[in-house]
Amino acid sequence: METAKKFGAARSGQLLIVAALAIAILIASTSIYVYELTTQKQSAENSSAVELALAVKTSLRNAAVSALANITQGGQKTVLAENLDTLADVYMRLYPQQICQIRYTLLNGSGYEGGVKLSWNSNNGLGVSSVYIPYMLKVLAPAFNVAVNDAINITTTLKVHGFCIVSENETLKTVNLTCMVFNEEKPAQAEWIAIYYEDDSGAWIPVNNPSITDWGNSTYSLLFTVAVASDFVHVSAHVVDARNIFVVANTACSQAS
Amino acid sequence: MKGRSSGQIRIIEAFLAIFIIFSAVAISANLPAKNPNSANNSLASIGMQALLQLDSDGSLSAYIASGNWSGLREALNLLLPAGVSFNLTVYDTQMRQTNMETVSNGGFNSQEITLVKYVCTSRSPEFRCYVIYLYLAVAK
Repeated sequence: METAKKFGAARSGQLLIVAALAIAILIASTSIYVYELTTQKQSAENSSAVELALAVKTSLRNAAVSALANITQGGQKTVLAENLDTLADVYMRLYPQQICQIRYTLLNGSGYEGGVKLSWNSNNGLGVSSVYIPYMLKVLAPAFNVAVNDAINITTTLKVHGFCIVSENETLKTVNLTCMVFNEEKPAQAEWIAIYYEDDSGAWIPVNNPSITDWGNSTYSLLFTVAVASDFVHVSAHVVDARNIFVVANTACSQAS
Repeated sequence: MKGRSSGQIRIIEAFLAIFIIFSAVAISANLPAKNPNSANNSLASIGMQALLQLDSDGSLSAYIASGNWSGLREALNLLLPAGVSFNLTVYDTQMRQTNMETVSNGGFNSQEITLVKYVCTSRSPEFRCYVIYLYLAVAK
């Protein structure tokens, strides 16, 4: 009996160690659980921040496309700032519980004026309609903070080149013109094409029903006959792309050798 | 003397054990059994990605501008996973409702409804800005 008591007293210290170990494991496992939950929450918040930044960029892109379409079809250049201000205002009002700021700069220089570049008058076969908007997005939310510096570039480029073949009647010339359309330097589709040529008096005359072949890779071949006396045929191609952005490119078609 | 000291150790052990157990209980009680935001966050993410995909080529604003609500419903049905119920409301910049027709794929059976707010801008020369409220729930 005495031995059993002594044995029990001796074991109580071991029992305490085992219990302490068990509780230590319990605390460690709960700590890991808490850590994992925190990590999951953090990644969800990061994902929300990335999605908000993407949503703002998409909205800005669409607003810029709308402004460029408007400006190239005769609208004022101030339309760009108006569109962007409207968008920034809507974002501010949509998230009243957090600060959501969109600050943009309208680029002046490198051919841009008020963020807009319209290069239509050069005679080198290249026409450009473009907007370039560097912007900063700042979101200060209870769950996350985002600060993004990025830029929106919307550019429609038209490249034209061609040659002409003189018929037996030397005033009649058959012009073979190639137009290529690009959106941000990637092949793009043209929605509408019109061709003008410069007659002997210097007036621009529209070409009626030119034969147009769409090669499906942003390249269009146009064939038409004009009556001009000069050796060169000055041609102006007017194109509206699938985004409703208008662009003009001029070139001189010389006689094919 | 030895017996008294052993009794005091037992009392200390008992207090220690009670303290450790209570602290473990206290820590566990403060932990959420399940993170309720994770399901909502993933649903919000799915909704946001669907709207982003529709808006990336200007289709979203084109559906709204033309009042093609059935087309928008079909597009969302295709983009959202099966088993996700949605209800979409479109407002203008003055928060006046634009869609007179319901854009939804059925009623919500779930109590956990997630709201996705999205600003959509048009690509047409006449600029339009819409605010979209997309309510999502997992159908049960």
